[in-house]
Amino acid sequence: MVVCGIDMGARTAKAVLLADGEIAAHSILRTGPDSAAVAVAVLDRALETTAIRREDIELTVATGYGRVVVPFAERNVTEIACHARGNHYLFPSVRTILDMGGQDCKAIRCDDTGKVTTFLMNDKCAAGTGRSMEVMAALLQVPLEDVGRLSLEANGQPAKISSTCVVFAKSEVLALARQGVPTTEILAGLCDGVAERVKGLLRTVGVVEDFVISGGISKNIGVVRRIEEKLGVTSHIGFEPQIVGALGAALFARDFLERGRQPGRGRGGG
Amino acid sequence: MLTAGIDVGHESVAVVVVHDDGTLGHATFVIAGEVGAAAALAFEQTLARLGIARDRVHRVFATGIGRENVRLADGHRTPMLSHVRGAHSLFPAARTVIDIGAEGSRVMRCDANGYLTNFALNDKCAAGSGVFLETVADMLDVPLADMGRLSLKASRTVVLTATCAVFAESEIVAEIHRGSSREDILWGVNESIVSRIAATSRRVGIEPDLVLTGGVARNVGVVQALREQLEVDIAVPEHPQIAGALGAALLARDAGRC
Repeated sequence: MVVCGIDMGARTAKAVLLADGEIAAHSILRTGPDSAAVAVAVLDRALETTAIRREDIELTVATGYGRVVVPFAERNVTEIACHARGNHYLFPSVRTILDMGGQDCKAIRCDDTGKVTTFLMNDKCAAGTGRSMEVMAALLQVPLEDVGRLSLEANGQPAKISSTCVVFAKSEVLALARQGVPTTEILAGLCDGVAERVKGLLRTVGVVEDFVISGGISKNIGVVRRIEEKLGVTSHIGFEPQIVGALGAALFARDFLERGRQPGRGRGGG
Repeated sequence: MLTAGIDVGHESVAVVVVHDDGTLGHATFVIAGEVGAAAALAFEQTLARLGIARDRVHRVFATGIGRENVRLADGHRTPMLSHVRGAHSLFPAARTVIDIGAEGSRVMRCDANGYLTNFALNDKCAAGSGVFLETVADMLDVPLADMGRLSLKASRTVVLTATCAVFAESEIVAEIHRGSSREDILWGVNESIVSRIAATSRRVGIEPDLVLTGGVARNVGVVQALREQLEVDIAVPEHPQIAGALGAALLARDAGRC
């Protein structure tokens, strides 16, 4: 049985193909102005890496910010449910999930079956989201993937950045750079700021181990280390933390098929 | 007696000189370099323009976010006190004053004597600030001074839903791709900014007359959108960006009277 999960995020689209319960292929693609075309393209890219053909896919579930625009999806499920489901599949002992995406950040608690028990989400403010890191990396002309590593190489204290707002913090960062503060120290200050924002969210839902971080920012080791320090926990991170939502969607697709439900549009799972 | 007020904001310094019968002159300067030095230079240049010797100015009060950096000042007053004093002197019927500056907004209530009675601030978030308007002006390649006028020609079909200025930028890019006109996007931006300010306003409550101060008050589109959302008439001073400095100058004059 082949099923598909598509996660239409704010910044990237992800596809996961699940064949008999195993991840057979996955892909990640930057979103563009035409979300429906991106959804098709991200699936095509995943198909290219396997012998699975499009017609083999029995059911597709879409999730994420743009889940309603995926033209070939039979159903859609909220990203909160999908992230819990996907992370639970990868780490069955998980009870707390932090998913840091391009334009939001979610703290999710789940039970031993991977079902969501409580969650908290920030999608109103760019502070503490992947977007803030993109903006700052571009401002400091540092490749996004190097931000975390460089932030850990700071010799001095992390630079103090008092603004929470990304727009205001940009002026502060520019001023610091002009004063000659080393880039590593500025990055350390920025990673610390993101970790601090996230800490607030996690404290509110409560952290019970095992603790898993997913989403694009989990690839930023500078943010991950600082979250661990602030909360006094160790985090687990999957092999490809950006595809967890799509994986969860694919798992829901499998559930729907197994339960023999008639496919139809609408919110499901959860 | 001559007194002066210096309002040091995030992006500009405003200087106002008053005498017993009214305002003598004012000037606004963009801040370059160190804030204290920029304020001192702005003050000197204003006096030179007005042909007033420094020793004729009796007392100088500084206000605004950078007021502590104005070493030549004889005293400081908070932006709330200054804006209310300035707005109330121009519009004695004012009971609510909204100041929208580069990096935030504040809503102030005052009594019939112009005394501050309550206020609410937003200085933590760029949504609803002048900086956001500047970003949009850049994105759409529209001069800041033309934004308001252009936005009034909108068909009012663009609605921006993001509460965050960073996310709103992506929404604007999407609208540009979709082929929405500059005018329509600008009106969407007005409504987005104003909805933030309206939320702050509701926290303190609005009592007419309402006066709008700060640089953003020069944007007629924002003023119109605010008028519609709050459903009250709005008075805008001829030079809304100097209301804080005017208030500081008047407070410096008041200080000599007690």
